[in-house]
Amino acid sequence: MRNPLRTEAAAFRFLLVVIVGAAVIVACAAVNEWLGVAAALAVIGGIVWWLRR
Amino acid sequence: MTTYSHVEPFPHDEHEHHGPPAPHYSSRITPAVLGMFLFIGSEIMLFGAFFTAYFFIRVVNGVPWPTPPYHLPIYVAFINTCILVTSSFTMHWALQSVKRGNHWGLRAGLLLTFLMGLTFLISQAREYSRVGFSPQNGAFATIFYCLTGLHGAHVFVGLSILLLMTIRAFRGHFDAEHHHGVEIGGIYWHFVDVMWIVVYTTVYIL
Repeated sequence: MRNPLRTEAAAFRFLLVVIVGAAVIVACAAVNEWLGVAAALAVIGGIVWWLRR
Repeated sequence: MTTYSHVEPFPHDEHEHHGPPAPHYSSRITPAVLGMFLFIGSEIMLFGAFFTAYFFIRVVNGVPWPTPPYHLPIYVAFINTCILVTSSFTMHWALQSVKRGNHWGLRAGLLLTFLMGLTFLISQAREYSRVGFSPQNGAFATIFYCLTGLHGAHVFVGLSILLLMTIRAFRGHFDAEHHHGVEIGGIYWHFVDVMWIVVYTTVYIL
């Protein structure tokens, strides 16, 4: 698993990914709270997958 | 008995030294970066404890968030979020500048990052004075102050690091080859930003 904070550039990239992920969760939660929960799980899973690549 | 005191753990020239590093050094990571990783790991556990309390309060109590009649200043916090995220861009710009040998870019980037971080902290302090509740006003208020206050404390530490980095940059301590101090501070600053995105999303918006 890659360390998302290994370098400053990697940490900056990770911050951008977190911002996009948070925006997706907020948008889905605005539609329906359970959709928001599903989006949160999907985003967390996606980030873990991205770090494990 | 073999001693390794003569072995430089991280030689500047990779052809300078062959074989494993000294026993108390990692071959993959410098002690400074490892120290920062351990520090951030402990920070994640600390924030995790507070987030556990936050979710426990929201799920178990089953009352609206924030508890009526209180309101959270979402829009002020949004402006603060924009300021903090922008400060990460200037931090990144500062490091990219020094890597290219652009000293003025480094200085301007660090100074802007520091000023935006300071603006964030002052704005948060002002928000506390106007929010209309205190930590004694129930579990909701307690966890709000704990989470935002914990993050604010981290911004303060980040600002202290940034101040030192900025002073060192103006004294010419960094160049294209030697900028490890900026790299470490940058990692911490981005981590603080990541934590704010999580705090803002969960506490203010959701």
